Amino acid sequence: MHGNHIRSAGELVFNAALFVISLVLLWASYGISGFSSLSSPGALPMAVAFVMAVSSGLILLDCWRKAERDRTRFLRDILPPAVIVMMLFITGYALLLVPLGFLPVSLIFLVLSILYLRRGGVVFAVSVSLLALILVYIVFRLVFTVLMPAGIVPEAEFLAAIGQIFGGGQ
Amino acid sequence: MKKTFVKFAAVAALGTALGTAVFAQDYPGKEIQGIIQWGAGGSTDTVMRTVTPHAEEVLGGKVVMKNMTGGVGAIATKFVYAQNPDGYTLLMGAENPLLYKVMGLGDIDYSEFTPINILARGVPILVANNDAPFDTFDEMVEYIQAHPNEVKFGSTGPGGLPSVVTSMIASKTELPVTQVPYDGDGPALTALQGGAVDVMPAVLGAAIEAIRGGRIKAITLIDNKPTEVLPDLPALGETHPEYADYFPWGPFFGVFVKNGTPDDVVAKLTEAYAEGAKSEDFVKLMADRGYIVESLSGQEAQDFLTKWQSLTTWLLHDAGETKASPEEFGIPKP
Amino acid sequence: MQALEYFLIPWLDLKLLFLVAAGTFAGVYVGAIPGLSVTMAVSILIGFTFTWDVYPALCLMVGIFMGGVYGGSRTAILLNIPGAPSAIATAMDGYPLAQKGLAGEAIGLSTVMSFVGGLIGIVVLAIAAPTVSEFALVFQPRDYMLLAVLGILLVGSLSGESLVKGIFAGSVGLLIGTVGLDPLTAEERFTFGFTGLWGGISFIAVMIGMFGVSEALMQLHHVDKAAVKQKISRIVPNWSSIRRYLPLSLQTSSIGVLIGALPGTGGDIAALMAYDHAKRVTRDPEVPFGQGAKEGLVAPETANNAAVGGAFIPMLTLGIPGDAVTAIMIGALYIHGLNPGPMLMIEQPQMFWFITGALVLANIFMLIFGLTGIRIFTKIVEMPRAVLIPLILLLSIVGAYAVNNSISDVYWMLGFGVLGYFMKSYGYQLGPVILGVILSRLLDENWRRAIISEQDSIAGLFKGMLTSPLSLVLLAAVVLIFVSQTPLWRGVRGKLGLESKP
Repeated sequence: MHGNHIRSAGELVFNAALFVISLVLLWASYGISGFSSLSSPGALPMAVAFVMAVSSGLILLDCWRKAERDRTRFLRDILPPAVIVMMLFITGYALLLVPLGFLPVSLIFLVLSILYLRRGGVVFAVSVSLLALILVYIVFRLVFTVLMPAGIVPEAEFLAAIGQIFGGGQ
Repeated sequence: MKKTFVKFAAVAALGTALGTAVFAQDYPGKEIQGIIQWGAGGSTDTVMRTVTPHAEEVLGGKVVMKNMTGGVGAIATKFVYAQNPDGYTLLMGAENPLLYKVMGLGDIDYSEFTPINILARGVPILVANNDAPFDTFDEMVEYIQAHPNEVKFGSTGPGGLPSVVTSMIASKTELPVTQVPYDGDGPALTALQGGAVDVMPAVLGAAIEAIRGGRIKAITLIDNKPTEVLPDLPALGETHPEYADYFPWGPFFGVFVKNGTPDDVVAKLTEAYAEGAKSEDFVKLMADRGYIVESLSGQEAQDFLTKWQSLTTWLLHDAGETKASPEEFGIPKP
Repeated sequence: MQALEYFLIPWLDLKLLFLVAAGTFAGVYVGAIPGLSVTMAVSILIGFTFTWDVYPALCLMVGIFMGGVYGGSRTAILLNIPGAPSAIATAMDGYPLAQKGLAGEAIGLSTVMSFVGGLIGIVVLAIAAPTVSEFALVFQPRDYMLLAVLGILLVGSLSGESLVKGIFAGSVGLLIGTVGLDPLTAEERFTFGFTGLWGGISFIAVMIGMFGVSEALMQLHHVDKAAVKQKISRIVPNWSSIRRYLPLSLQTSSIGVLIGALPGTGGDIAALMAYDHAKRVTRDPEVPFGQGAKEGLVAPETANNAAVGGAFIPMLTLGIPGDAVTAIMIGALYIHGLNPGPMLMIEQPQMFWFITGALVLANIFMLIFGLTGIRIFTKIVEMPRAVLIPLILLLSIVGAYAVNNSISDVYWMLGFGVLGYFMKSYGYQLGPVILGVILSRLLDENWRRAIISEQDSIAGLFKGMLTSPLSLVLLAAVVLIFVSQTPLWRGVRGKLGLESKP
C-alpha cells in the first residue's frame, strides 16, 4: 500500500511532527539526570529517545526524498469526514465525562454516533444504545464495582436506596 | 430522545431526594470507596481486604475497595485529597505519605487527613542469602567493612523501609554497601534467594515464610525485644543498645479520611474499624505474618504519626537521602 | 496415591466442579472484554469469597484464570482488539483469518491449541515444579536484562515492510513505559511538571487505544461496506491439522511455561516470544505470517495458556508469585489462613495437588466452553459497523477507565488511539509499540540493577555475563538472532527499508 517511492497525503507533515516530538523528548530525557551515571533513571530514556530521534530523522529524510506523491487526498483518504466527526464525538465525550457523568454522556454518545453513521432510525439507535448501556452498567458497575464518574446522576444513592428496599425485609 | 431525557431527569431527581434524605438520616447512605495505595496482592492490600469486611458489618454499609497504584502511593493520596470530605472516600495506606514532603513528592501528607485507625505495625528484620559469609550482625558489619561496596543490600528506593534501616545502621557504624533497588520487597526477597542481593532489610511478615522454609537466614531483628515468631533471633536493640532509641520503628497500615469530615462520620468509621481490628481473622493474619496490631485512633494515632515522621525524616535527612530538609516543613527533630 | 486423592477433590465434589465451570465460563468473558482483566476479577473474588472455605474460593479463581487467559483471543481474532495483553500476538494472524471469513475456524483452532498449551503447562507444574522454580531463581538482573533485549529484537519480525519504522515504534513503546515516577528512585521522568503523570501511562490504556480505538477509526473508512460473511462450517480442527502443529506447540508451550514461571515476566511476553519463534522455525507456512498463518495463531495461544501452569510453579513451591494473578492468589491464601511459602508443599501437600486438579478441570471446561457458542460469537463481526464502531469506542473508554479508576487513563487511551490511527495510515506497525511498553520496565530496571551490582562498570557486567552459563546462553541467543536479522553482506540499507529506487 505504501510503496517505497511515493508518499501519501500528509505523510511528510506527520513524519516531521514525529521527528520534532522525538527531539523534544530527547531534550526532556536529558533533563532527568543528564549524563550522571549509567544506572541513573535517565539512562534508558535518553538512549531510547536518541534512537527515536535518529530513526524518525531517517524516516523523514527518506519521505522527503520521495519526489512523487500518490493520488491520496488528505481529507478523502487519510482523514475522511466520518473519522473527523467521530474523533470530535469522542473528544466531546472525554470532556463531558466528569461534569455530566458516565450514564448520560454514554447514552448521548451512543445515540448520536449510531444516528450519524446510519443516518436515520431514532428508535433503533435509542433502543440499541440503551440495551448496550444497561449491559455495560451491569457488568462494569454492578459486577466489577467500577465506580464511573457519577456526574449529575446520583446512581450510588439510587443503588443504595434500591438495596434498602430489598434489604429492608431482613 | 426527549422522552429519555425526561426519564433521566426523573431518576436524577428521585436519586437526589433519596440521597440527601439518606445522608441526613444515617451514614453511610451509599457505598463507600476505599482507595488502596498499593497494588492487589501486596501487604497493604491484604490487610485492608481482611479488616474491611468486618468493619462493614459494624457500619451496615458497603466499602468498595479499589487499588490505585503509582508514585509510591502519592497518586491515591492526591485522589482522596481531591474528593469531598464526606466520609465516602477512605484512604487505605501505608507509611509512605509521611515522607513525601522531604522526598519532593508534593506537599500532601497525612497532616491533611484524619486517621481513622492505625491498624498494625510491622517489625523490620535483617535477612541474608544462605551463602553469605556471616551469621550475626557483628560478623556482617565486620565483613562489610573488610570488603567495602562488595556486599549488595536489597532496597526499595529512597524512603522505603530498607533504606531507612540501612540509614539507621549506618548512623552508628561505617557501612559501605551497594544498594540495589527493587520495586517492592517481594521482588527483592526473591532476588535475595537467588543471590542477586546478599542482605535485605525487610518487614518480618514478608520474609517469615522464606525463613521458616530455610531459603534465607535471619541476621537480627530490628527491634528492642525478640519476637514470638522467631524467639531465638536476637534483637538489635538488646545486643547493640546504641540503636535502642530508634525502636520500636516499622512500617504501618492505616485508614484515613480527609480533614473536615463531619465528626459523627469519623466517630462511626473509627468504631467500625476498631471492631474490625479485633476480629479473629485480622488478629490471626497479623500474628501469622509477624505484625503487631496497634488499632490506634484519635489523638493516640496523631501522636504515633508525628513521632514516626519526625524520627524517620531526620534519620533520612542525616543520611543524605532526602531532597529537602524536614526543617522546611516544620517537622521537629526527635 | 495420596496425591491422586487430593488431585481428584475438585472432580468428585459436585459443588467444586460447578464452581470451576462457572469460573472458567466467567473467565472467558472477562478475558474477552478489553479492560476487564483476570487480575481485577480475582481481586474482587477475594472480597466475594471472604467467608467461604478455601477450596471453593480457589476453584473459582483457578477457573477465571484459565478461562481469562484464553478469552483474550476471542476479541483479538474477531475485532483485532486483544481482550488481554497475552492475546496481542494472537491478533496478528487471527484477525486476518476473520477478515477472510474464517473466524470460526480460527477460534476453534485457538481453543484446541490453548487446551494443549494449558495441559502442557500443568504437566510441567505437576512433575517438575521444584526443579523449574530453582531454575527460575537462578536468573540474575543481567539475565532478565538479556531476556528483555531478546524480546526487543522481536521488533524485527513485527515491523512489517519498514524496519526503521518498526524501530521507531518500538522506541516509542519503551519510552511510554518509562513515563512517571521512576519505580526505583521516585525520580520524575517525562512528567513535565504534571502530577497527574506521576503514576505513568497505563499499559492497558495504550493497548486499548492503539488497538481498539485506532481500529474502530480505521473501520470508519468503510462504514457502509457490508461485513464479511463468516463461514462456520468447520469449527473443530481435524486431527491431522492438530498433529501437524503438535511439534510447534510443544516448543512454544515450553517457552510459555518457562517465561510464566519467571517472577516478573508473564503470558504477554511469552506469547510474543512464541510468535517470533514460530516465525523463525516455520519454513514455509501455507499463508505468510501476518496474513492469517495458522502457525501465528497456534504459537501465542499455546504459550499463554502454558504460562498459567508456569505461573503457579514458584507460587506453590516457594510462595513467590509468577505473575500478577498468582500474587493476588497468594494474598487470598493468607486471608484464608494459609501461609504460602516454601513450607506449603511440605505442610499442606494437598494444596498443591488440589490446585493442579482444579487447573486440569478448568482446562477441560475451557475447551468445552470455547468450542460451543462460536456461532453466536462470530455474529459480532457481522453486526453493522454503524453499531459496532460506537460500541467498540464505548467499551474502550470504560475499559481504560476500569483499569485504575482514572480519567487520565481515558484521555491517554483516546490520544494513543488517534496517534495509532495516523501511524497505521502512514505504514507504521503498532505491534512494536506495545512490545516496547511491555518490555520497558523489565529492561530499564534490570539494566540498572545489573550495572549497579557491578558498581557502574561495563567491564564488570560483561565479565559477569561471560562467566555465568545461563547468561552466556542468553547472550548467544541475542547475538544469533541479531545477526540472523541483519544479513550483513546483503546490504543493510535494503533491510532498513530505506532503498529509494527499486
